[in-house]
Amino acid sequence: MLLALAASGYAVVVSVVGARAGRAALVVSARNAAILAFPLLTLASLMLLIGLMTQRYDIAYVWQTTNPSTPDFYRFTALWGSQQGSLLFWCWIMSGFAAAALVLNWKAYRRLMPYVIAYTMATLAFFVGLTFFLENPFERHWIVGTEVVKAAIQPVGGRVPTPTEIGVFSESARGLNPLLRHFGMIIHPPMLYLGFTGMVIPFAFAMAALASGDLSTNWIKATRGWKLIAWLFLSLGLILGGRWAYDVLGWGGYWGWDPVENAAFLPWLIGTAFIHSVMIQEKRGMLKVWNMFLVIFTFSAVIFGTFATRSGLVESVHSFAQSSIGAPMFFFWAAVTLVSVALILYRWHRGELKDETHKTGLLSRETLFVLNNVIFIALTVAIFWGSFGAPITSELFMGTNITLGAEYFNAVTAPLFIAMYILMGVAPLSAWGAMSVGRLGRALLVPLGLTLLTLAALFITGTTSLAALFGYGVVLLAGYVAVYETVRGALARQRTAGEPFLRALLAIFGRNRRRYGGFVVHLGITVIGIGVIGSTLFQVETQQTLRPGESLTIGDYALRFDGMVNGAIAEDGRVMVIANTTVLRSGNEIATIRPRHDIFPARRQEDMNTMMIAGAHSTLENDFYVLLVGWTPDTATFKVYINPLVNLVWWGGLVLILGTLISVAPQQTLPSRVRARVMAEAPA
Amino acid sequence: MAQAAWEKPVSVSAPAHQTKRGRRWQFIIGGLLILGAVIALIVQGMNAGGRFFITVEETLSNPAYVGQSVRVSGAVVGETIRYDAENLIIEFEVAHVPQNVAEAGAALHAAANDPNALRMRVRVENQVKPELLQHEAQAIMTGTLNENGVFMVSDLNLKCPSRFIEGAVPSLGQGGA
Repeated sequence: MLLALAASGYAVVVSVVGARAGRAALVVSARNAAILAFPLLTLASLMLLIGLMTQRYDIAYVWQTTNPSTPDFYRFTALWGSQQGSLLFWCWIMSGFAAAALVLNWKAYRRLMPYVIAYTMATLAFFVGLTFFLENPFERHWIVGTEVVKAAIQPVGGRVPTPTEIGVFSESARGLNPLLRHFGMIIHPPMLYLGFTGMVIPFAFAMAALASGDLSTNWIKATRGWKLIAWLFLSLGLILGGRWAYDVLGWGGYWGWDPVENAAFLPWLIGTAFIHSVMIQEKRGMLKVWNMFLVIFTFSAVIFGTFATRSGLVESVHSFAQSSIGAPMFFFWAAVTLVSVALILYRWHRGELKDETHKTGLLSRETLFVLNNVIFIALTVAIFWGSFGAPITSELFMGTNITLGAEYFNAVTAPLFIAMYILMGVAPLSAWGAMSVGRLGRALLVPLGLTLLTLAALFITGTTSLAALFGYGVVLLAGYVAVYETVRGALARQRTAGEPFLRALLAIFGRNRRRYGGFVVHLGITVIGIGVIGSTLFQVETQQTLRPGESLTIGDYALRFDGMVNGAIAEDGRVMVIANTTVLRSGNEIATIRPRHDIFPARRQEDMNTMMIAGAHSTLENDFYVLLVGWTPDTATFKVYINPLVNLVWWGGLVLILGTLISVAPQQTLPSRVRARVMAEAPA
Repeated sequence: MAQAAWEKPVSVSAPAHQTKRGRRWQFIIGGLLILGAVIALIVQGMNAGGRFFITVEETLSNPAYVGQSVRVSGAVVGETIRYDAENLIIEFEVAHVPQNVAEAGAALHAAANDPNALRMRVRVENQVKPELLQHEAQAIMTGTLNENGVFMVSDLNLKCPSRFIEGAVPSLGQGGA
């Protein structure tokens, strides 16, 4: 870690000196040092992983996150299971992103590269330094007299513990928190870290453009793929976090407006605004300053979120422990934001960020995209205020602490999300430059008609809630526009190229991945929206204590309790208490499910953990979600939820990911037959 | 083959009657309207969801908080936890923990194990007992204090207990931390 810190520090200084002095050799040397940080941090992460896998309980982190009964798989995931390890993991991912960006973009963007090195490595050096000096995952247990002391280097008068003493340590080792033993939680943190750290690349390119004066669209072209990849991982992290909450926390929901959840959502919102507004700069040469602000504030939100989560700034159910990294992280965040904004203002003042045109109509696509940006930023501000602004301001200026609960977030965000969906439906139908009301209205006719037909069908089949119908209408319009525009594109291609429809459809995705991948993303957001409306407005629940053979009813479903299995032992030592139940619908058995409690044994009673695992029968229509909340030798008590359409939230997430992958795939610039001809004609 | 066949072309010909100044005013007025709407939403949301976040001591010592929805943080006293699984009623006591303590884990440990610490009775209805409801866990609760001195919780959150042992070390005695 120390070598990685030295390499990244060296890269910062030498890249800037090389760029200023015009000495290419220095910049190359800085690049090599920057790339070297990746294998060095890989080695450090591997060392910690080896410590975890080989049960080195003399390493404090290993003692804290694992114990002898921890399965190998969870020993591996313990790498990011607590503060110190997750910081090292964070540094490793960031160094990987930086190395990849430097290797892949080196030739194409030579002028920007020295500053890209400087900004990525300055960020990396900060985090590696923070990890090494304040949250070192390699701290060891030392024996000083009869006491055990934790320190990174051997204290005066201290000695290495003997194997027997390490054996004693293992008996009190903590083990991974059972709440983290879930598929969603295992890959949720890495996905979020990939999203967070990936944002450093667009940020570094934007800052490099400002520092070097190359304010053309080069930095945008260079970061197109990187920002989408980071956004993809961030989206995946958020979805998996929701899935974990739904499966593990046992309240039948997936988003609780917790400050830490919100801290991860903020960069996603600003990043989404940036993905849209950057298109305006590419197409029309407008919003240059705004785009710079967005890319910088996306990264600033990443750093702030990390600071808020890891410093103990806010009271959250899943923040890390209060730690000494709060102050340095705050100063780093403030410095990054202030320096970035100062650089923008400097270039703006020099007239280098002037828009190339101001001509635009009120209903043009760029105006609607700007409106979409306003909505995203309003969401960001409202959520930031509710999560951090109000509590901190009230404490600083009123001497009391005011927090804002879910009622605040629901009241503020619902209208903004409605506006977002409406714009998602209308904006793709507009044209760059200008658009008349009549033309836009005509373009809207088919999707609007389909939306109204679907609403009528929903009404006839029993959905009479006005709120639900309105919500479905707004969301469906966005989805139908995405489908309609895609089909229209394929039909146009079919007419001009004389191809079958499916081939034409594939061809338009090949020719314009960004546009049509974007429509698939919109479709994913539509599906998520339908899932959110259904599961929020129509969730029903009941609870009942049953004897074996008895049933409870909820809607047209019934749950029959068939009996208990008490004391089954899993491979990893968990003791399971399982309720065997059968789900019936209209009298017909449709599934058997086994809600259970897992008990994680420990040497001491107070270290023993239990975990309630829901049983669910999942279909696209709904989740029949059952919790075993209590039992006696003769009875079992169940809490049952029916969560309509909740699975669309996860399926929509998958569609969103598919769309992003399509958008991020390399663009095919020539039709395959032309490419084949060119290749054939090319001299050997 | 022209991409333009299925891509909308850029059109820069704005309607003639829209002068540059007129358009600017339209954008400014539109922007102000949106800003006003967002501020109104935030104010309305704060009225609906704003609560004081206070300690157990503040809750019990100030009669003004009786009947008012507040958010309270305290240390769970494990031996007082009672769970009626049949009716989904949880009752327990939380001990006072000062706000903004440097070592949250130590403060919770001290509060939950101090028989003289100020305690508040808590009742949660229609909620499954969370796994994290354990001795020394930090409970963050939204609810109202009733006239009998019982805090009626509408939203119960508990912090992950593993956080509080970060920084602990093993002892050389059998199994003790």
